[in-house]
Amino acid sequence: MKITRFLFRGGLIAYTMLFFAFIYIPLVLIAVYSFNSNPVNMMTWSGFTTEWYAQVLGFKTTISENALYIESTDQLVQAVWNSLIIATSTTIIATVFGTAIAIALYRFAFFGKRFYRTVMFMPMLMPDIVLGIALLIFFVNSGITLGLKTIIIGQCTFLISYVFIVVSARLAGMDRTLENASADLGANEWVTFRKVVFPQLLPGIIGGALLAFIISMDDLVITYFIAGVDVTTLPMFIFAMLRRGIKPEINAIAVMMLTFSFVVASLGLYLRSRQK
Amino acid sequence: MASEMSLAGRRRVQLALLLAPVTLFFAVFFLGPLAIMIVTSLLAPGLYGGVEWTYYPHNYGRILGFADPAFEVFDPVYLSIFLRSLKIAGFTVIATMVVCYPAAFCIARLSERWRNFCLFLITLPFFTSLIVRLFIWVLILRQTGIVNEALLATGVITRPLELIYTDGAIVLGMVYIFIPFMFMPIYASVEKLDWTLVRASLDLGAGPVRTFVRIILPLTAPGIAGGAIIVFIPALGNFVVPAVLGGAKVMMLGNLIEQQFLSARNWPFGSALAMMVMSVMLVLLFIHVVASGRRGADATN
Repeated sequence: MKITRFLFRGGLIAYTMLFFAFIYIPLVLIAVYSFNSNPVNMMTWSGFTTEWYAQVLGFKTTISENALYIESTDQLVQAVWNSLIIATSTTIIATVFGTAIAIALYRFAFFGKRFYRTVMFMPMLMPDIVLGIALLIFFVNSGITLGLKTIIIGQCTFLISYVFIVVSARLAGMDRTLENASADLGANEWVTFRKVVFPQLLPGIIGGALLAFIISMDDLVITYFIAGVDVTTLPMFIFAMLRRGIKPEINAIAVMMLTFSFVVASLGLYLRSRQK
Repeated sequence: MASEMSLAGRRRVQLALLLAPVTLFFAVFFLGPLAIMIVTSLLAPGLYGGVEWTYYPHNYGRILGFADPAFEVFDPVYLSIFLRSLKIAGFTVIATMVVCYPAAFCIARLSERWRNFCLFLITLPFFTSLIVRLFIWVLILRQTGIVNEALLATGVITRPLELIYTDGAIVLGMVYIFIPFMFMPIYASVEKLDWTLVRASLDLGAGPVRTFVRIILPLTAPGIAGGAIIVFIPALGNFVVPAVLGGAKVMMLGNLIEQQFLSARNWPFGSALAMMVMSVMLVLLFIHVVASGRRGADATN
């Protein structure tokens, strides 16, 4: 009781509510203003419209008569497409590699294990920009043309680490007695892995894959350096738009991206909370 | 079938199969590029963006004060950008701490249901697009943004304030995106806090301030230190936030590095700048490891 009084006397609850307001009010604002019909000043309310969404999704709107907008919508679709291709490929590669290394480090004792562990954490700790330029120098020096391929490779270097951490956490919480039981009952190693270890591990692998997908869709810095001139991803598209000048449909794009990641992240966090 | 193989032999094959692909991948695409970057930072810049294979320490010299006498006199502009980046990253750490620390206390004392919900709300933005979250602040802060429009409409100001394209805007943007990074380590240490010690201190007559400084702060120091490091490192090399909220006037290390690679095409100098970021990171990590090692030793003694 005394502690609670001590803590809450200073208006700690009020402070915490402000804390959440700081995080979420901007997100609410953008959601509201994405329906603002004012085409010149996005922050002056002049009426409700869903035209920006229709525009982004490629429907015919009163805005699409303007040729400039049509061109940028095409670029946007291409950027979304690139992002999806990259995220799908990196998720598959990073999940396989990250899971393999997590199992290896959990299961086996071998020389250099600590070194592996350190190296696996390095890409996450390192500032993005350092990894980005290191990869750029490497790709250019080895004569590999920058493009989708280099983005996929580059993103995998740090996505593997994320999958590794999620799967390792799952492995650490697993019940090894089940494996012993399976072996005692005569199952060989492969059967034990497939029927006992893998099903227990699966939620961790799915969690790692979801995380890798979201981070890949969102990565800007590393992708920016190794994308070359022809390929644009969704975050790069928005970044370029911010530098050129903001057009109202960017609000609609932003809200759709937020919604997408909210849904995927909530799903992932929900799945994780269910396992416990 | 490999049934004739011994168990140890089979284990070795399994381990090799698991490790080989990842090892190869990391050696070629992670450690390799880092090594090449380190080498590049020590080579002379060639014409039109190439490198010349001669040892050339003056890339670092341009930053630290021993510029190549054949080309230029030392100009402290790069050093001042470096120091300014350290300053902005430092302010970001302090501001994020001030924002997160009290909230962590409040949330740690909630019932489990509410606590989990709050933690969910704090982690959720981490999974949403970084560039979108920064873009919102552009809309809020710019000349015709929400804040200025509201202040103008209510007559508090007559001319729009210059909110965006300032150091303050950069710090604000960074705080916004780094909140989860700082909150989680602090929360972890607050949750582990032994409240009986706090109660004892209060019962024995220490005031709230004294209890905070002598009991709570030292016990939560590891979380604060951890949060400070994982915010400081990405803040120092960040180039997206200054590019979006800092405009052309405010340059940080990240922008300078980007410029060297994508427009000035002086890769060796850009690599040297990146190595400066890396060395700050390594120094911080080293201090952290030594400090937490000592804390661990103290705890066991």
